Amino acid sequence: MSRRSALADRLRRPAILLSAPALIVLIGAGLIPLVLIAFWSFWSFDPATYWIKPEFTFDSYRALLGTGRLPVFVRTTGLAALAAALCTVLAFPASAIIGMMSGPRRATVLLALFTIPFFTSALIRAFAWRLVLGRTGIVNHALVGLGIVDQPVEWLLFSDFAVTIGMVAAYLPFAVVPMVLVLARIEPSVIRASQDLGAGFWTTLRRIVLPLAMPGVFAGFLFVFVVALGTSTEIQLLGGAGESSISIMINDIMRVVNFPLAFAVATTVVVVLAAIVILADRILGLSRMFEDLGA
Amino acid sequence: MNREAVVLDGGAAARTLFMGLMALGLALIYAPALYLLLASLNPGMQLGLVPPSEFSLTWYRSLLGDNRLLSALMESVIVGLATAAIATPIGLSSALAFRAMSAGRGTFFLFILFAMFIPGTIQGLGLSVIFKVVALKPSWLTVAIGHLLWALPFAFTVSLVSLAVVRPNMIAAARDLGASGWRAFRDVTFPLVRGGVVSSFVFSFLLSFNEYARAYFLVGRQNTLPLAMFGAMNSGASPTIYALSGTILVISFALVAILLFIGWRRSAP
Repeated sequence: MSRRSALADRLRRPAILLSAPALIVLIGAGLIPLVLIAFWSFWSFDPATYWIKPEFTFDSYRALLGTGRLPVFVRTTGLAALAAALCTVLAFPASAIIGMMSGPRRATVLLALFTIPFFTSALIRAFAWRLVLGRTGIVNHALVGLGIVDQPVEWLLFSDFAVTIGMVAAYLPFAVVPMVLVLARIEPSVIRASQDLGAGFWTTLRRIVLPLAMPGVFAGFLFVFVVALGTSTEIQLLGGAGESSISIMINDIMRVVNFPLAFAVATTVVVVLAAIVILADRILGLSRMFEDLGA
Repeated sequence: MNREAVVLDGGAAARTLFMGLMALGLALIYAPALYLLLASLNPGMQLGLVPPSEFSLTWYRSLLGDNRLLSALMESVIVGLATAAIATPIGLSSALAFRAMSAGRGTFFLFILFAMFIPGTIQGLGLSVIFKVVALKPSWLTVAIGHLLWALPFAFTVSLVSLAVVRPNMIAAARDLGASGWRAFRDVTFPLVRGGVVSSFVFSFLLSFNEYARAYFLVGRQNTLPLAMFGAMNSGASPTIYALSGTILVISFALVAILLFIGWRRSAP
């Protein structure tokens, strides 16, 4: 016991030193800019310098509520929630196959297939949907060819339908990874006990697997929701003309260099996201899910 | 993934249903990319038309003459290499820190992960303002710093997974034999995780190379490739953009698949 704690002491100092570079980058380049723009979102726009001046005001937040900005928040949130829900429904069976219904070899290959998309261009993959869903695309070609419709279907592309499908395709892996982590950790003997007691597949799934996997399922939903909330790619490439999102709105505001207003939008989003992640960590023990990674 | 075998067997019906839904998910991910690849080989101007009557590399050839895209490509390669060169050692270092921690591991992990969840547009906006204040001119460096935040969580995770083969006993043995912490790292840890370090570098490069939103507010005169491509995609795209997309997809897929395969072979008994 004493030997163990001596070892722990020897390891603790390196932990601080070794984590320093990451903490410097994350705090210096990640956190400080966000804190500063939160601070400056309460300053005034200075038309003389096209920058900000230190006059405290709530103007930017008042402007947030006016002139059609609120609907953009609502719509972006709604689309992100829809994409996250669809991803969760699609990801659970896939994760169950990978995490508990496959041998190690197949599980590895399937997990790799869901990992590869992280490292490919989301821009190009969204762009590819234009070819698939367009007037002369393969889907319309098939629909007309099979005589299901006479004219190519117009709402397939440049619509909420296209945006949703593009988001689901882009962010599905974000839902699969946490679910697989949780499902693969379920003690096999628990499953065997359930089946020995006569429970069928669906009963075991509903009464044993699902409750144990709930943190992973929620984490999967949350990961997709958070990423989809901040994206602009799918909406810019696949959405209807003039369709906006929070990120597009920030770009638009910056085009007229209204810094405090852009900062106010950004701050609102970051505060909400931080609250969601911290709350989820409290309720679901998000951080516990990763504690034995790589051990 | 250290399952010995199938844990839950659902019988044919359930398995078919689950497999079907998984196949649907994989099709959503992969089918459009494959279709784009096929279409990029169609020499006609109307790429969407199916089935193409002939295949050719016309658009791939005209790609070599597009100087605007090529200089953007150059910029993205420089930014990607810079990002990977910084993210890889920091990722490894923080993975070692994670393992050395006795408490607060999960919080540390979540903190690293959080950088991934800040919308790229907002992170880019925040950084660009800081750079403006400290009078750092927009260039490949400012973009690389932005991309670093995106690549770091992945570099950390890849390093952490590859560190699984290093048992604490091995380090303890090296230390008992008189090795310094640095010596133990150089002679024991690093040789064991070399493959993971290579993966971490390539993954960080690809994440930076393909990143679009974070660069928007950070680029200088020279656009990165995704920004240049976005412009081309929305201005009556010449079919060269399909050829470029196809090339990038194939290279990204191939690199990741090869690295995952090598990593898998290494960890298999």
